[in-house]
Amino acid sequence: MTVAMQMFSAEVLKLRRNRGLMAFTFLLTVGVVVLYFGYSALRHASNPSQYGAAGGLVDFQHAVRLLGMYFGGLAAILIGTEAGTADLASGVFRDLVTTGRSRLALFAFRAPAAAFVSIAFTTVAFALSVAATFQFADGLSTPTVGVILQSYGWMVLANAVLACLAVGVGSLTGSRGLTLTGVIGWQTIVSQLLLNAGSLGSVRDLLLPASLGQLAPMPAGIPFTVSTGAAIAVVVGWAAVPAAVGAWRTRAQDA
Amino acid sequence: MAPMTTANIIETRGVTKRFGARTAVSDFSLTVPRGSAFGFLGHNGAGKTTMIRMLLGLTRADAGEMRISGRPVPQERAAVLARVGAMVEEPNFHRHLTGRENLRVVAAARGPAAARRIDGALRRVGLTDRAEDRVRTYSQGMRQRLGVARCLLADPELLILDEPMNGLDPGGILEFRTMIADLTGEGRTVFVSSHLLDEVEKTCEYAAVIDRGAMVAQGPISELLQDDRVELDIDCDDARAALDLLDGHPAVTAAHETPAGLRVTVTASEVAASINSRLVSAGLSVFRLAPVRESLEQRFLEITSRVGGES
Repeated sequence: MTVAMQMFSAEVLKLRRNRGLMAFTFLLTVGVVVLYFGYSALRHASNPSQYGAAGGLVDFQHAVRLLGMYFGGLAAILIGTEAGTADLASGVFRDLVTTGRSRLALFAFRAPAAAFVSIAFTTVAFALSVAATFQFADGLSTPTVGVILQSYGWMVLANAVLACLAVGVGSLTGSRGLTLTGVIGWQTIVSQLLLNAGSLGSVRDLLLPASLGQLAPMPAGIPFTVSTGAAIAVVVGWAAVPAAVGAWRTRAQDA
Repeated sequence: MAPMTTANIIETRGVTKRFGARTAVSDFSLTVPRGSAFGFLGHNGAGKTTMIRMLLGLTRADAGEMRISGRPVPQERAAVLARVGAMVEEPNFHRHLTGRENLRVVAAARGPAAARRIDGALRRVGLTDRAEDRVRTYSQGMRQRLGVARCLLADPELLILDEPMNGLDPGGILEFRTMIADLTGEGRTVFVSSHLLDEVEKTCEYAAVIDRGAMVAQGPISELLQDDRVELDIDCDDARAALDLLDGHPAVTAAHETPAGLRVTVTASEVAASINSRLVSAGLSVFRLAPVRESLEQRFLEITSRVGGES
Protein backbone atom coordinates (compact mmCIF):
# COMPACT_ATOMS: atom_id res chain seq x y z
CA MET A 1 0.00 0.00 0.00
CA THR A 2 1.39 3.42 -0.90
CA VAL A 3 1.91 6.15 1.67
CA ALA A 4 -0.97 8.12 0.12
CA MET A 5 -3.33 5.15 0.43
CA GLN A 6 -2.19 4.53 4.00
CA MET A 7 -2.77 8.16 5.00
CA PHE A 8 -6.19 8.26 3.35
CA SER A 9 -7.10 4.99 5.03
CA ALA A 10 -5.94 6.32 8.41
CA GLU A 11 -8.11 9.44 8.04
CA VAL A 12 -11.13 7.30 7.14
CA LEU A 13 -10.39 5.02 10.09
CA LYS A 14 -10.45 7.96 12.53
CA LEU A 15 -13.88 8.96 11.24
CA ARG A 16 -15.57 5.61 10.86
CA ARG A 17 -14.53 4.43 14.32
CA ASN A 18 -16.25 7.43 15.89
CA ARG A 19 -19.49 5.65 16.79
CA GLY A 20 -21.45 8.72 17.86
CA LEU A 21 -20.58 10.59 14.69
CA MET A 22 -21.45 7.60 12.51
CA ALA A 23 -24.78 7.05 14.28
CA PHE A 24 -25.75 10.70 13.92
CA THR A 25 -24.69 10.74 10.27
CA PHE A 26 -26.78 7.64 9.64
CA LEU A 27 -29.82 9.36 11.15
CA LEU A 28 -29.25 12.52 9.11
CA THR A 29 -29.02 10.63 5.83
CA VAL A 30 -30.64 7.19 5.75
CA GLY A 31 -32.88 7.98 8.70
CA VAL A 32 -34.20 11.17 7.15
CA VAL A 33 -34.96 9.47 3.81
CA VAL A 34 -36.76 6.60 5.55
CA LEU A 35 -38.77 9.09 7.59
CA TYR A 36 -39.56 11.26 4.58
CA PHE A 37 -40.81 8.49 2.32
CA GLY A 38 -42.30 6.47 5.19
CA TYR A 39 -44.33 9.41 6.43
CA SER A 40 -45.47 10.32 2.91
CA ALA A 41 -46.44 6.72 2.17
CA LEU A 42 -48.42 6.41 5.39
CA ARG A 43 -50.15 9.70 4.75
CA HIS A 44 -51.04 8.69 1.20
CA ALA A 45 -52.29 5.28 2.35
CA SER A 46 -54.48 6.83 5.03
CA ASN A 47 -56.09 9.40 2.71
CA PRO A 48 -55.21 8.99 -0.99
CA SER A 49 -57.66 11.64 -2.13
CA GLN A 50 -56.03 14.38 -0.05
CA TYR A 51 -52.37 13.28 -0.12
CA GLY A 52 -50.55 12.35 -3.28
CA ALA A 53 -48.35 9.31 -3.76
CA ALA A 54 -45.07 9.20 -1.80
CA GLY A 55 -42.94 8.45 -4.86
CA GLY A 56 -42.51 10.02 -8.26
CA LEU A 57 -40.38 12.83 -9.61
CA VAL A 58 -41.37 15.58 -7.16
CA ASP A 59 -40.64 13.53 -4.05
CA PHE A 60 -37.40 12.37 -5.63
CA GLN A 61 -36.49 16.00 -6.16
CA HIS A 62 -37.28 16.79 -2.51
CA ALA A 63 -35.20 13.84 -1.29
CA VAL A 64 -32.22 14.87 -3.40
CA ARG A 65 -32.44 18.38 -2.02
CA LEU A 66 -32.57 17.01 1.53
CA LEU A 67 -29.48 14.90 0.89
CA GLY A 68 -27.50 17.50 -1.01
CA MET A 69 -28.11 20.72 0.83
CA TYR A 70 -29.95 20.14 4.08
CA PHE A 71 -29.64 17.01 6.21
CA GLY A 72 -26.98 15.37 4.03
CA GLY A 73 -25.15 18.69 3.97
CA LEU A 74 -25.37 18.85 7.73
CA ALA A 75 -23.86 15.37 7.95
CA ALA A 76 -21.05 16.45 5.62
CA ILE A 77 -20.36 19.45 7.85
CA LEU A 78 -20.27 17.26 10.97
CA ILE A 79 -17.85 14.83 9.36
CA GLY A 80 -15.72 17.59 7.84
CA THR A 81 -15.49 19.32 11.20
CA GLU A 82 -14.37 16.11 12.87
CA ALA A 83 -11.77 15.50 10.16
CA GLY A 84 -10.50 19.07 10.41
CA THR A 85 -10.21 19.20 14.18
CA ALA A 86 -9.61 15.62 15.42
CA ASP A 87 -5.81 15.63 15.36
CA LEU A 88 -5.55 19.03 17.03
CA ALA A 89 -8.26 18.40 19.60
CA SER A 90 -6.80 15.04 20.64
CA GLY A 91 -3.21 16.36 20.74
CA VAL A 92 -2.07 13.81 18.15
CA PHE A 93 -1.17 16.47 15.57
CA ARG A 94 2.12 17.07 17.37
CA ASP A 95 2.99 13.39 17.16
CA LEU A 96 2.16 13.32 13.46
CA VAL A 97 4.40 16.34 12.84
CA THR A 98 7.28 14.63 14.63
CA THR A 99 7.17 11.84 12.05
CA GLY A 100 8.75 14.30 9.62
CA ARG A 101 5.80 14.05 7.21
CA SER A 102 5.02 17.50 5.79
CA ARG A 103 2.17 19.31 7.43
CA LEU A 104 0.56 19.94 4.07
CA ALA A 105 0.52 16.20 3.43
CA LEU A 106 -1.08 15.67 6.84
CA PHE A 107 -3.76 18.21 5.90
CA ALA A 108 -4.24 17.02 2.33
CA PHE A 109 -6.01 13.77 3.19
CA ARG A 110 -8.54 15.23 5.60
CA ALA A 111 -10.96 16.63 3.02
CA PRO A 112 -10.98 13.59 0.69
CA ALA A 113 -11.55 11.29 3.67
CA ALA A 114 -14.37 13.47 5.02
CA ALA A 115 -16.00 13.66 1.58
CA PHE A 116 -15.63 9.91 1.10
CA VAL A 117 -17.29 9.03 4.42
CA SER A 118 -20.14 11.50 4.06
CA ILE A 119 -20.80 10.48 0.45
CA ALA A 120 -20.82 6.82 1.50
CA PHE A 121 -23.79 7.55 3.75
CA THR A 122 -25.62 9.81 1.31
CA THR A 123 -25.10 7.25 -1.46
CA VAL A 124 -26.98 4.64 0.57
CA ALA A 125 -29.68 7.19 1.34
CA PHE A 126 -29.82 8.19 -2.33
CA ALA A 127 -30.26 4.56 -3.39
CA LEU A 128 -33.12 4.23 -0.92
CA SER A 129 -34.65 7.40 -2.33
CA VAL A 130 -34.51 6.05 -5.88
CA ALA A 131 -36.10 2.78 -4.77
CA ALA A 132 -38.84 4.61 -2.87
CA THR A 133 -39.42 6.99 -5.79
CA PHE A 134 -40.31 4.06 -8.03
CA GLN A 135 -41.92 1.88 -5.38
CA PHE A 136 -44.34 4.54 -4.22
CA ALA A 137 -44.88 6.32 -7.58
CA ASP A 138 -48.42 4.97 -7.91
CA GLY A 139 -48.70 6.13 -11.51
CA LEU A 140 -46.81 9.42 -11.14
CA SER A 141 -43.98 10.22 -13.53
CA THR A 142 -40.59 8.99 -12.40
CA PRO A 143 -37.08 10.36 -13.06
CA THR A 144 -35.13 9.14 -16.06
CA VAL A 145 -31.75 7.45 -15.67
CA GLY A 146 -30.14 10.68 -16.84
CA VAL A 147 -31.89 12.73 -14.18
CA ILE A 148 -30.98 10.17 -11.52
CA LEU A 149 -27.32 10.24 -12.49
CA GLN A 150 -27.24 14.03 -12.70
CA SER A 151 -28.98 14.29 -9.32
CA TYR A 152 -26.46 11.90 -7.79
CA GLY A 153 -23.58 13.90 -9.22
CA TRP A 154 -25.04 17.12 -7.84
CA MET A 155 -25.57 15.58 -4.40
CA VAL A 156 -21.98 14.30 -4.35
CA LEU A 157 -20.73 17.74 -5.36
CA ALA A 158 -22.76 19.47 -2.64
CA ASN A 159 -21.61 17.02 0.05
CA ALA A 160 -17.98 17.24 -1.03
CA VAL A 161 -17.97 21.04 -1.03
CA LEU A 162 -19.57 21.25 2.41
CA ALA A 163 -17.19 18.63 3.83
CA CYS A 164 -14.24 20.51 2.36
CA LEU A 165 -15.54 23.81 3.74
CA ALA A 166 -15.87 22.31 7.22
CA VAL A 167 -12.42 20.69 7.06
CA GLY A 168 -10.88 24.04 6.12
CA VAL A 169 -12.63 25.98 8.86
CA GLY A 170 -11.98 23.20 11.39
CA SER A 171 -8.27 23.17 10.56
CA LEU A 172 -8.22 26.94 10.92
CA THR A 173 -9.93 27.12 14.31
CA GLY A 174 -8.93 23.76 15.76
CA SER A 175 -12.22 23.84 17.67
CA ARG A 176 -15.18 21.55 17.00
CA GLY A 177 -17.66 23.82 18.76
CA LEU A 178 -16.54 26.96 16.99
CA THR A 179 -16.48 25.26 13.59
CA LEU A 180 -19.88 23.62 13.92
CA THR A 181 -21.47 26.80 15.20
CA GLY A 182 -19.85 28.93 12.52
CA VAL A 183 -20.41 26.72 9.49
CA ILE A 184 -23.90 25.47 10.36
CA GLY A 185 -24.94 28.95 11.46
CA TRP A 186 -23.66 30.41 8.23
CA GLN A 187 -25.25 27.80 5.99
CA THR A 188 -28.62 27.45 7.67
CA ILE A 189 -29.28 30.93 9.05
CA VAL A 190 -27.05 33.65 7.65
CA SER A 191 -27.05 32.41 4.06
CA GLN A 192 -30.82 32.00 4.08
CA LEU A 193 -31.31 35.51 5.45
CA LEU A 194 -28.96 36.96 2.85
CA LEU A 195 -30.67 35.05 0.04
CA ASN A 196 -33.91 36.78 0.98
CA ALA A 197 -32.34 40.24 1.26
CA GLY A 198 -33.33 41.72 -2.12
CA SER A 199 -31.25 44.85 -1.55
CA LEU A 200 -28.08 42.77 -1.95
CA GLY A 201 -28.89 42.09 -5.59
CA SER A 202 -26.41 39.93 -7.48
CA VAL A 203 -24.06 39.77 -4.49
CA ARG A 204 -26.30 36.93 -3.35
CA ASP A 205 -25.03 34.87 -6.27
CA LEU A 206 -21.80 34.47 -4.32
CA LEU A 207 -23.60 32.44 -1.67
CA LEU A 208 -23.09 28.70 -1.84
CA PRO A 209 -26.81 27.75 -1.82
CA ALA A 210 -27.47 30.02 -4.82
CA SER A 211 -24.66 28.51 -6.89
CA LEU A 212 -25.50 24.94 -5.90
CA GLY A 213 -29.11 25.66 -6.76
CA GLN A 214 -28.07 26.82 -10.19
CA LEU A 215 -26.11 23.62 -10.79
CA ALA A 216 -28.93 21.33 -9.62
CA PRO A 217 -30.37 19.18 -12.43
CA MET A 218 -33.87 20.07 -11.24
CA PRO A 219 -35.08 23.26 -9.60
CA ALA A 220 -33.55 23.30 -6.15
CA GLY A 221 -35.88 25.83 -4.60
CA ILE A 222 -33.38 28.71 -4.62
CA PRO A 223 -34.89 31.85 -6.11
CA PHE A 224 -31.77 33.19 -7.85
CA THR A 225 -30.04 32.44 -11.09
CA VAL A 226 -26.38 32.81 -11.95
CA SER A 227 -24.63 31.60 -15.07
CA THR A 228 -23.41 28.01 -14.95
CA GLY A 229 -19.78 29.11 -15.29
CA ALA A 230 -20.12 31.60 -12.48
CA ALA A 231 -21.91 29.03 -10.35
CA ILE A 232 -19.08 26.52 -10.86
CA ALA A 233 -16.52 29.17 -9.95
CA VAL A 234 -18.42 30.10 -6.79
CA VAL A 235 -18.84 26.46 -5.71
CA VAL A 236 -15.15 25.74 -6.31
CA GLY A 237 -14.30 28.88 -4.35
CA TRP A 238 -16.38 27.76 -1.38
CA ALA A 239 -14.31 24.57 -1.25
CA ALA A 240 -10.92 25.95 -2.26
CA VAL A 241 -10.67 29.10 -0.16
CA PRO A 242 -11.44 27.49 3.23
CA ALA A 243 -9.19 24.56 2.29
CA ALA A 244 -6.34 26.92 1.43
CA VAL A 245 -6.77 28.83 4.69
CA GLY A 246 -6.91 25.57 6.66
CA ALA A 247 -3.77 24.32 4.90
CA TRP A 248 -1.95 27.56 5.64
CA ARG A 249 -2.91 27.37 9.30
CA THR A 250 -1.86 23.71 9.53
CA ARG A 251 1.50 24.59 8.04
CA ALA A 252 2.15 27.69 10.11
CA GLN A 253 0.89 26.89 13.59
CA ASP A 254 3.01 25.66 16.48
CA ALA A 255 2.30 21.98 17.10
CA MET B 1 21.08 7.99 1.02
CA ALA B 2 23.22 6.17 3.58
CA PRO B 3 22.65 7.28 7.17
CA MET B 4 25.29 9.65 8.50
CA THR B 5 27.12 8.51 11.61
CA THR B 6 28.48 11.22 13.86
CA ALA B 7 29.92 10.98 17.35
CA ASN B 8 27.24 13.30 18.67
CA ILE B 9 23.66 12.67 17.69
CA ILE B 10 22.43 16.09 18.83
CA GLU B 11 24.44 19.29 18.58
CA THR B 12 23.04 22.75 19.10
CA ARG B 13 24.84 26.09 19.08
CA GLY B 14 23.47 29.36 20.38
CA VAL B 15 19.81 28.37 20.14
CA THR B 16 17.45 31.08 21.31
CA LYS B 17 13.67 31.18 21.50
CA ARG B 18 11.57 34.15 22.55
CA PHE B 19 7.88 34.38 23.28
CA GLY B 20 7.23 38.11 23.00
CA ALA B 21 9.45 39.87 25.53
CA ARG B 22 10.21 36.67 27.44
CA THR B 23 13.26 34.63 26.45
CA ALA B 24 12.41 30.96 26.98
CA VAL B 25 15.72 29.54 25.76
CA SER B 26 18.89 31.61 25.54
CA ASP B 27 22.09 30.90 23.60
CA PHE B 28 21.70 27.18 24.26
CA SER B 29 24.49 24.84 23.20
CA LEU B 30 23.97 21.14 23.79
CA THR B 31 25.97 18.06 22.85
CA VAL B 32 24.46 14.59 23.16
CA PRO B 33 26.80 11.63 22.51
CA ARG B 34 25.45 8.93 20.20
CA GLY B 35 24.36 5.71 21.85
CA SER B 36 24.02 7.19 25.32
CA ALA B 37 21.20 7.61 27.77
CA PHE B 38 21.12 11.36 28.28
CA GLY B 39 19.20 13.16 31.01
CA PHE B 40 17.90 16.65 30.38
CA LEU B 41 17.23 18.29 33.72
CA GLY B 42 15.53 21.46 34.75
CA HIS B 43 12.81 22.87 36.94
CA ASN B 44 9.30 23.20 35.55
CA GLY B 45 9.32 26.09 33.09
CA ALA B 46 13.12 26.03 32.74
CA GLY B 47 12.87 25.59 28.95
CA LYS B 48 13.25 21.81 28.54
CA THR B 49 10.11 21.24 26.50
CA THR B 50 10.66 24.37 24.40
CA MET B 51 14.13 23.11 23.50
CA ILE B 52 12.72 19.70 22.57
CA ARG B 53 9.96 21.27 20.50
CA MET B 54 12.54 23.27 18.55
CA LEU B 55 14.63 20.16 17.90
CA LEU B 56 11.56 18.40 16.50
CA GLY B 57 10.43 21.32 14.36
CA LEU B 58 7.25 21.84 16.37
CA THR B 59 8.17 25.47 16.90
CA ARG B 60 10.81 27.67 15.29
CA ALA B 61 14.03 28.86 16.92
CA ASP B 62 14.70 32.59 16.70
CA ALA B 63 18.45 32.09 16.47
CA GLY B 64 21.12 29.40 16.53
CA GLU B 65 21.92 26.13 14.81
CA MET B 66 20.69 22.62 15.54
CA ARG B 67 21.91 19.33 14.11
CA ILE B 68 20.55 15.85 14.60
CA SER B 69 22.75 13.03 13.35
CA GLY B 70 24.88 15.62 11.58
CA ARG B 71 21.99 17.07 9.58
CA PRO B 72 20.68 20.58 10.12
CA VAL B 73 17.18 20.97 11.48
CA PRO B 74 14.67 22.23 10.62
CA GLN B 75 16.15 22.38 7.09
CA GLU B 76 16.38 18.58 6.76
CA ARG B 77 13.77 17.68 9.33
CA ALA B 78 11.92 15.17 7.13
CA ALA B 79 15.02 13.02 6.66
CA VAL B 80 16.13 13.47 10.26
CA LEU B 81 12.80 12.74 11.91
CA ALA B 82 12.32 9.57 9.87
CA ARG B 83 14.72 7.94 12.37
CA VAL B 84 13.63 9.84 15.49
CA GLY B 85 10.90 8.73 17.87
CA ALA B 86 9.57 11.42 20.15
CA MET B 87 7.13 11.67 23.00
CA VAL B 88 6.58 15.32 23.87
CA GLU B 89 4.83 16.13 27.14
CA GLU B 90 2.06 13.62 27.88
CA PRO B 91 1.40 11.03 25.18
CA ASN B 92 -1.83 11.87 23.37
CA PHE B 93 -3.98 9.52 21.33
CA HIS B 94 -7.32 9.32 19.58
CA ARG B 95 -9.15 7.93 22.58
CA HIS B 96 -11.92 6.33 20.51
CA LEU B 97 -9.39 4.22 18.61
CA THR B 98 -7.68 1.08 19.90
CA GLY B 99 -4.00 1.00 20.71
CA ARG B 100 -3.25 -0.78 17.45
CA GLU B 101 -5.36 1.67 15.43
CA ASN B 102 -3.56 4.61 16.98
CA LEU B 103 -0.26 3.08 15.90
CA ARG B 104 -1.71 2.56 12.40
CA VAL B 105 -2.51 6.27 12.19
CA VAL B 106 1.08 7.28 12.93
CA ALA B 107 2.55 4.44 10.87
CA ALA B 108 0.57 5.74 7.90
CA ALA B 109 2.46 9.02 8.11
CA ARG B 110 5.80 7.24 8.52
CA GLY B 111 5.41 4.82 5.61
CA PRO B 112 4.90 1.11 4.89
CA ALA B 113 7.94 -0.07 6.89
CA ALA B 114 6.50 1.50 10.05
CA ALA B 115 3.22 -0.38 9.59
CA ARG B 116 5.15 -3.65 9.60
CA ARG B 117 6.69 -2.75 12.97
CA ILE B 118 3.37 -2.36 14.80
CA ASP B 119 3.19 -5.90 16.19
CA GLY B 120 6.79 -5.84 17.34
CA ALA B 121 6.40 -2.46 19.01
CA LEU B 122 3.27 -3.59 20.88
CA ARG B 123 5.03 -6.76 21.98
CA ARG B 124 8.07 -4.82 23.13
CA VAL B 125 6.08 -2.57 25.47
CA GLY B 126 3.89 -5.43 26.70
CA LEU B 127 0.62 -4.21 25.19
CA THR B 128 -0.16 -7.05 22.78
CA ASP B 129 -3.01 -8.31 24.96
CA ARG B 130 -4.64 -4.86 25.15
CA ALA B 131 -3.92 -3.79 21.57
CA GLU B 132 -7.55 -4.17 20.48
CA ASP B 133 -8.95 -2.16 23.41
CA ARG B 134 -9.84 1.49 23.02
CA VAL B 135 -7.22 3.85 24.43
CA ARG B 136 -9.83 5.53 26.62
CA THR B 137 -9.74 2.36 28.75
CA TYR B 138 -5.93 2.51 29.22
CA SER B 139 -4.23 3.53 32.44
CA GLN B 140 -1.65 6.34 32.46
CA GLY B 141 1.15 3.77 32.50
CA MET B 142 -0.29 1.95 29.50
CA ARG B 143 -0.57 5.21 27.57
CA GLN B 144 3.07 5.95 28.35
CA ARG B 145 4.02 2.52 27.05
CA LEU B 146 1.90 3.00 23.94
CA GLY B 147 3.73 6.30 23.46
CA VAL B 148 7.03 4.45 23.45
CA ALA B 149 5.59 1.89 21.02
CA ARG B 150 4.68 4.79 18.74
CA CYS B 151 8.30 5.98 18.93
CA LEU B 152 9.56 2.52 18.03
CA LEU B 153 7.65 2.54 14.74
CA ALA B 154 10.46 4.71 13.38
CA ASP B 155 13.13 2.10 14.29
CA PRO B 156 14.70 5.17 15.88
CA GLU B 157 18.36 5.91 16.28
CA LEU B 158 17.26 8.65 18.69
CA LEU B 159 14.35 8.61 21.13
CA ILE B 160 13.34 11.89 22.71
CA LEU B 161 11.17 11.27 25.76
CA ASP B 162 9.78 14.27 27.60
CA GLU B 163 8.97 13.40 31.23
CA PRO B 164 8.29 9.74 30.35
CA MET B 165 7.97 8.62 33.96
CA ASN B 166 5.30 11.10 34.95
CA GLY B 167 2.39 9.37 36.60
CA LEU B 168 4.02 5.93 36.66
CA ASP B 169 3.90 3.76 39.77
CA PRO B 170 7.17 2.32 41.14
CA GLY B 171 6.74 -0.85 39.09
CA GLY B 172 6.16 1.19 35.94
CA ILE B 173 9.24 3.32 36.65
CA LEU B 174 11.34 0.19 37.06
CA GLU B 175 10.01 -1.17 33.74
CA PHE B 176 10.81 2.12 32.06
CA ARG B 177 14.33 2.13 33.48
CA THR B 178 14.90 -1.37 32.10
CA MET B 179 13.47 -0.39 28.74
CA ILE B 180 15.79 2.60 28.45
CA ALA B 181 18.76 0.39 29.30
CA ASP B 182 17.66 -2.12 26.65
CA LEU B 183 17.27 0.59 24.03
CA THR B 184 20.71 2.07 24.63
CA GLY B 185 22.06 -1.49 24.64
CA GLU B 186 20.85 -1.73 21.03
CA GLY B 187 22.91 1.34 20.13
CA ARG B 188 20.02 3.79 20.21
CA THR B 189 20.34 7.15 21.93
CA VAL B 190 17.70 7.94 24.54
CA PHE B 191 17.28 11.60 25.45
CA VAL B 192 15.16 11.84 28.59
CA SER B 193 13.81 15.09 29.90
CA SER B 194 12.83 14.70 33.52
CA HIS B 195 12.53 16.34 36.86
CA LEU B 196 12.90 12.93 38.58
CA LEU B 197 16.59 13.43 39.32
CA ASP B 198 17.05 10.17 41.13
CA GLU B 199 15.72 8.32 38.07
CA VAL B 200 18.02 10.20 35.71
CA GLU B 201 20.97 9.39 37.95
CA LYS B 202 20.05 5.70 37.85
CA THR B 203 19.23 5.60 34.14
CA CYS B 204 21.57 7.97 32.33
CA GLU B 205 25.30 8.27 31.79
CA TYR B 206 25.20 11.88 30.66
CA ALA B 207 23.12 14.88 31.64
CA ALA B 208 22.59 18.54 30.95
CA VAL B 209 21.04 21.04 33.31
CA ILE B 210 18.95 23.92 32.00
CA ASP B 211 17.86 26.76 34.24
CA ARG B 212 15.79 29.75 33.14
CA GLY B 213 16.49 28.85 29.51
CA ALA B 214 20.26 28.74 29.91
CA MET B 215 22.64 25.79 29.98
CA VAL B 216 24.33 25.62 33.37
CA ALA B 217 26.11 22.26 33.21
CA GLN B 218 26.48 19.25 30.94
CA GLY B 219 28.65 16.18 30.66
CA PRO B 220 29.01 12.72 32.16
CA ILE B 221 27.00 12.47 35.36
CA SER B 222 30.11 11.24 37.21
CA GLU B 223 31.85 14.50 36.30
CA LEU B 224 28.83 16.63 37.16
CA LEU B 225 28.86 15.12 40.63
CA GLN B 226 32.54 15.91 41.25
CA ASP B 227 33.20 18.72 43.67
CA ASP B 228 36.34 20.32 45.11
CA ARG B 229 35.14 19.76 48.65
CA VAL B 230 35.79 16.43 50.42
CA GLU B 231 33.39 15.60 53.21
CA LEU B 232 33.25 12.66 55.59
CA ASP B 233 30.34 11.37 57.62
CA ILE B 234 31.43 9.98 60.97
CA ASP B 235 29.24 7.95 63.28
CA CYS B 236 30.78 7.35 66.74
CA ASP B 237 29.69 6.89 70.35
CA ASP B 238 30.40 10.51 71.46
CA ALA B 239 29.93 13.10 68.74
CA ARG B 240 30.65 16.06 71.04
CA ALA B 241 34.01 14.60 72.16
CA ALA B 242 34.90 13.79 68.55
CA LEU B 243 34.13 17.36 67.53
CA ASP B 244 36.51 18.68 70.22
CA LEU B 245 39.23 16.24 69.18
CA LEU B 246 39.04 17.16 65.49
CA ASP B 247 38.97 20.88 66.18
CA GLY B 248 42.74 21.04 66.18
CA HIS B 249 43.37 18.56 63.34
CA PRO B 250 45.39 20.29 60.57
CA ALA B 251 43.46 18.61 57.73
CA VAL B 252 40.00 19.48 59.02
CA THR B 253 38.64 22.77 57.70
CA ALA B 254 35.11 22.51 59.13
CA ALA B 255 33.04 20.16 61.24
CA HIS B 256 29.53 20.10 62.62
CA GLU B 257 27.14 17.72 64.31
CA THR B 258 24.39 16.04 62.29
CA PRO B 259 21.53 13.80 63.43
CA ALA B 260 23.64 10.81 62.34
CA GLY B 261 26.88 11.97 63.99
CA LEU B 262 29.39 14.37 62.47
CA ARG B 263 30.03 15.84 59.03
CA VAL B 264 33.64 16.88 58.58
CA THR B 265 35.14 18.84 55.70
CA VAL B 266 38.74 17.88 55.04
CA THR B 267 41.50 18.96 52.66
CA ALA B 268 41.85 15.55 50.97
CA SER B 269 40.14 12.18 51.11
CA GLU B 270 43.44 10.51 52.11
CA VAL B 271 43.29 12.02 55.62
CA ALA B 272 40.34 9.79 56.58
CA ALA B 273 42.72 7.18 58.03
CA SER B 274 44.54 9.66 60.30
CA ILE B 275 41.20 11.06 61.51
CA ASN B 276 39.99 7.57 62.31
CA SER B 277 43.26 6.85 64.11
CA ARG B 278 43.02 10.00 66.23
CA LEU B 279 39.42 9.19 67.31
CA VAL B 280 40.21 5.54 68.14
CA SER B 281 43.41 6.55 70.02
CA ALA B 282 41.31 8.86 72.18
CA GLY B 283 39.12 5.90 73.16
CA LEU B 284 36.12 6.67 70.97
CA SER B 285 34.28 3.87 69.17
CA VAL B 286 33.89 4.67 65.46
CA PHE B 287 30.99 2.80 63.90
CA ARG B 288 31.16 4.34 60.42
CA LEU B 289 33.43 6.71 58.54
CA ALA B 290 32.44 7.28 54.93
CA PRO B 291 33.02 9.91 52.23
CA VAL B 292 29.91 11.91 51.42
CA ARG B 293 28.66 11.09 47.94
CA GLU B 294 26.70 13.99 46.60
CA SER B 295 23.50 12.98 44.81
CA LEU B 296 22.48 14.42 41.46
CA GLU B 297 19.56 16.02 43.23
CA GLN B 298 21.85 17.90 45.64
CA ARG B 299 24.14 18.91 42.81
CA PHE B 300 21.20 20.03 40.68
CA LEU B 301 19.81 22.17 43.47
CA GLU B 302 23.24 23.72 44.09
CA ILE B 303 23.80 24.50 40.43
CA THR B 304 20.37 25.93 39.73
CA SER B 305 20.19 27.96 42.95
CA ARG B 306 23.65 29.37 42.21
CA VAL B 307 22.50 30.56 38.81
CA GLY B 308 19.34 31.92 40.33
CA GLY B 309 21.39 33.87 42.83
CA GLU B 310 23.47 35.52 40.14
CA SER B 311 20.55 36.78 38.12
